[in-house]
Formats: sequence, C-alpha cells, structure tokens
Amino acid sequence: MRRFHIIALIGPLLIGQLLSSCNSCKRDGVDLSQELYIPDSVVETNQSPQVSKDVTEKMMQNISSPVETAALIKGLKIPFNKNYLASTDQAEKFNTNFEKALALGIYGCDLGYLNMYEKTSFVVDYISTIKRLADDIQVGQFFDFSTLKRLATNNENLDSLILISQQSFNRIDTYLSETNRSMFSAVIVAGVWVEGAYLSSRVAQISDHPRIRETIGEQKTIINFLMALLKVYEKDPDMAKLIDELQPIKKIYDGVKITYELGEPEMVEENGVVTFKQTDKQIIEMNDELYNELIKSIQDLRSKILKL
Amino acid sequence: MKKILFSLVLAVVGISYFNNIYAQSEEELVQICTMISGDAEYLKDFRIKLDAGDPPPVQRFPILLKKDIKYRFTVCNSKDYEGKVILQLYDNNRQLATTYIVATGKDYPYIDWVCTKTGAYHLVYSFRDGKAGMAVGLLSMVGTM
Repeated sequence: MRRFHIIALIGPLLIGQLLSSCNSCKRDGVDLSQELYIPDSVVETNQSPQVSKDVTEKMMQNISSPVETAALIKGLKIPFNKNYLASTDQAEKFNTNFEKALALGIYGCDLGYLNMYEKTSFVVDYISTIKRLADDIQVGQFFDFSTLKRLATNNENLDSLILISQQSFNRIDTYLSETNRSMFSAVIVAGVWVEGAYLSSRVAQISDHPRIRETIGEQKTIINFLMALLKVYEKDPDMAKLIDELQPIKKIYDGVKITYELGEPEMVEENGVVTFKQTDKQIIEMNDELYNELIKSIQDLRSKILKL
Repeated sequence: MKKILFSLVLAVVGISYFNNIYAQSEEELVQICTMISGDAEYLKDFRIKLDAGDPPPVQRFPILLKKDIKYRFTVCNSKDYEGKVILQLYDNNRQLATTYIVATGKDYPYIDWVCTKTGAYHLVYSFRDGKAGMAVGLLSMVGTM
C-alpha cells in the first residue's frame, strides 16, 4: 500500500516536469542583422526599416515614450506650458474605438509631460480622461486610476506617479497583445508619438537650442519604425487613413539626412556602478525650410487628430 | 483504488498549493527590480524564462533608445531557479554593454548606458552556463545628459 502512496506523490512531480517546458525558448544565436538592420558605418538612412511583425510589435511600447520626450524638454530648462497640452474637453469628440485609442496615446503623452514637471494639480483631470477612454476600449481595468488619483491629490511620491502611469500603459499594451487587439496598441503608440513630436515642435518655436532641432530631425528614425509598425495593420480602413495622414510628414523626413560615426563604447566603474558610454555620433542635416515644414506638418496632423 | 485516486488528487493539489505559496512571481520580481534600480524612472520591464540548453538559449527584445538619455538596465533572478541572468545590449551586431564582465567574472545587478545615438537596439538575455532560469529585466531612465 505504501508503494501506491509513493507513486501518488512522485507521479505528479514527473508529469509536472514534463509539462513545464518553456515554449518560447529559442536556441538561436545572436545574429541580429536578419531581423533589424541598423547602419553599421557612416551611412545615410532614407529607407523605412524592413522589420518583421513580431519585432515591431515587441518594440511597440518603446517606439515613443512620453517620459523620455518630456525629460529631454525639461532637461533643456524649457519651462512648463499648459497651452502645449491637448485640452481634456476635446475627449468628447472621439466616437470610434480607433479615435479613442489615438486620443489615449495623446493624453498619455500629456500625462508624462505633467508628471515630469510635477504639475499634479492638472493630473487628476488627465487621468480621469484617460480612464474614460480606456474604459471605452475595454482596457480601463489596467489603468490604476485610484492609486494615481491618490498620489496626485496628496502630492505624494511623484516618482510613483511616473512608475504607475508607465506600468498602466504597459499592462494595457500586454493585454491588447494577448487578446489579439495589437492594432489598438499600435494606434496608442501613434498617438503618443504625434503628441511627443508636437510638444517638441512647440518648444522648437520658442527655443533655438540645437538639441531641439536635433530632436525634431531624429524623429525621422522613429517615424520610420512607427510607419513599419502601422503598415502591419494597413488593411484596416482607419489605419490606412492614419498612414495616409502620416505620409506627408514621412515624405518631408525623406529630405532629412542622418549619418552616423561609430565609435567603441567606454566602460567606467565608479562606486560599484558600471556605466557604458556610447561614443557613436549622429549627424543630422536639414535646412531651415525643411525644419519649418516639419514643425508645421506635425502641428497640422495633431490638429486634425484632435478635430480642432 | 479509491485510496490511490485520493492520494493522487491530494498530491496534485498539494504540489499546486505549495508552488503557488512559495514560487516567486514575475510581478514580485518586477517590484524587486524597481527597488534595485533606485531613483531611476521606470520605463518598461521584460520577462525572461528559459530552459537549460547548450548553447545557452536567449531571449531578445528590440528597443528604441534616444540620444542624450542615460538609461539603467537592471536584472533580477528568480530564487526558484539556478540560472543567473546575463543581459547584453547590442546594436546591429556589436555588443555594446553587458551586466556580466567575463574578464573579471563580475556580475552587476544594474548597468547604466549613456546613449548618443537615437535608434534601434537589442536586449539579449540568457542564463550563465545555459542553466534554466527565470528573471526580469528593467529598462529605466536615470536622467538626461
């Protein structure tokens, strides 16, 4: 009888072992050039990158980050300006799920800007709008509204505001991917990019800092990836329309020349922290006419999306 | 026969319960990683789970990094697995940074990366000596340059 008990105890363990193999494990090397080509010398990049759906979807969340855009603007000592942001009153104008997802990206980017400048007095209004839009496209459960509201209302732990905002958007992205609604993730990302580029374009109109000019120019790299991502879903009529609306901006960017000078990264260890410093240089060439055209076309597209 | 079936059911339920109670979840690892990354702003997390293998299996994530941002890459191992995670940052085919310096044999819980070129990069995660492992990688922002 004891033998049966031993079998009973060991059996499930063996079955568990057999069932616990990881499906996602791939024994491939690290030749990354087959999936994503990045210029490896001083080379001009005018072509959209040829990337697989899998790669673009994985990259989705990272294509445009509100936190990084806002940090770069703030890092240049550009003062906060509420007028740059999309008015939450506009949110009522969005009817379809596609429009709401695009707006979710726009307001999400604005939330990143508000968080970065610690303007908590405006945050509640924006997270309320984001929550409504997220609920409408059935992803509201992943947006931690109550915690964000408490943090903003009590003006406490502002780092947590950024953390929870970012994690909420990441969870929305994961859920949309898991439920075969990745197209909406791509639309949200497009909204974030448009608003981030718009914020940079507004700053460009008040600051002649060379880094702002470079920020506008380097969007060429990002719009190429964004377009590659959106084209995965171009059979959808709304997506086809959005691609068409982005096309004029992409065409202007074709005139921007980006070249790279590659160098070896340097490793420095200080107080137990290892820092790798990239020594590559990016050189962006565009004349004033192109620069102003880009600013105008980005602002026109954003007005069109917000139905202004 | 009834006793055998009862014992089987009891064992399965017991093992499941035991795993649920003591196994470290990915969410827990993300929380730990966030604490380890200190005052850097969270941007994204990556979940890594790999079987043992020779050559060591890898999990890759393409990302876009922006010029003039100092990023922090943090790694956290699950205590439920033997594998020690290694992160390597690549651009096209060049390794640019890693959490494991082979020459010294030193492992770092996080590394910083000062980016000077906006573009696509790859995070490549593997476990040392091809052991099985579960880990979380964190991408965060230390600040602007």
